Amino acid sequence: MPHQTFEEVVLPHLDAAFNYARWLTKSDADAEDVVQDAYVRALRFFSSLRGDDARSWLFTIVRNTWYGRFTRAAGPNQPTVYDDVKHDRPDDGLDPEALVMQQQAVERVQRAVQELPTDFREMIVLRELEGLSYKQIAVVVGIPIGTVMSRLARARERLQAILTPSAPPKGTQS
Amino acid sequence: MICLEAGRLLDAFVDNELEPADAANLQAHLASCAACRQLLADRESLGRLVRHLPYYPASDRLRAKILRISTRPRFDPSLLAWAAVLALAVALGGSVEIVRFARARHGAETTAAVADEVVGDHVRALRDAHLFDVRSSDQHTVKPWFLGKVDFSPPVEDLSSIGFPLMGGRLDHVAGQPVAALVYQRRLHPINVYIWPAVDRTAASDTRSIRGFQVRHWIRNGMSFWAVSDLNDAELGELVRALQR
Repeated sequence: MPHQTFEEVVLPHLDAAFNYARWLTKSDADAEDVVQDAYVRALRFFSSLRGDDARSWLFTIVRNTWYGRFTRAAGPNQPTVYDDVKHDRPDDGLDPEALVMQQQAVERVQRAVQELPTDFREMIVLRELEGLSYKQIAVVVGIPIGTVMSRLARARERLQAILTPSAPPKGTQS
Repeated sequence: MICLEAGRLLDAFVDNELEPADAANLQAHLASCAACRQLLADRESLGRLVRHLPYYPASDRLRAKILRISTRPRFDPSLLAWAAVLALAVALGGSVEIVRFARARHGAETTAAVADEVVGDHVRALRDAHLFDVRSSDQHTVKPWFLGKVDFSPPVEDLSSIGFPLMGGRLDHVAGQPVAALVYQRRLHPINVYIWPAVDRTAASDTRSIRGFQVRHWIRNGMSFWAVSDLNDAELGELVRALQR
């Protein structure tokens, strides 16, 4: 990446880096720490950036920083076992799209995503909020593309189950 | 196509990530299957809901901090000292030496940073029991596995004959770039060997110990190698010499 400076290439992705870190850590303070560390590392490794996908490159560093920092003491992050019982059930019979009109619905989605296991949550964030391709997600998370596809599908299934527990189970006809 | 397969492809279809042939097959199935059409509709409305999730932008305070980090070198007072030394050196006709020295100094910092990274990665891979994406002692299985996953072809060699059996490999990331990680073993000690195309092909070999792990670094045929293990340095050295042959 000749003649382009760190500020030109990496700084523009600060909001994206923070958004990703914020969803990973679920805390403003922790996300700020992670992003700050990640930028220090990114600056140090800037000369190793190949290709032009600086955002995915930065996401990888954010993820590694978060991983090293927050899973060191506690061991690998334990997936939260989702317990349907303790969560509000949505009003029966309401079309999810109609619910969007209500702030309440957005809050419910937000809560549901917050409570997804981290592996699933980051899939939703990288795909739906950051709009990364499967290939880019594979690079950031360090998994094969096929796993991106299946993990994202499972994340959405889980989310759907949380949001509409009254919906009939998915079709099994063959 | 059966519903099970359709369900597997549905998300990639919604995301526009399907190969055209798969997409056409799925569409044909959808045309005749109301249950799968309902699944698709559910996914689409979920997608619309999820896009209303809050996007957290960085605060101005964080932005200011990051800006300070990324512009710090400009205000680094030691740069002034360097400039003075450089000016003096040029005046004395020793500019080439100084440039070489400055480059070596920068290289040493980078080497230390990368060494830290590979040790951190080694520890992470062990802790998460994620050492292998491809588990095989056959170099003709492991080497082709990297095809299409990294943009280089790492040398892969089984060294069972000298007591370092190849266990497998995985795709990993060091310094934000994809690297090939090979795993060898001696007794109960796993050894990670990280390989990627060298940026600076003249960089010196390196041996160090970080948090109880032995780290060896060398450049060979344009590739940068890093070996990390809790094995003692003498035995790690055996492996390194074999890989350098």
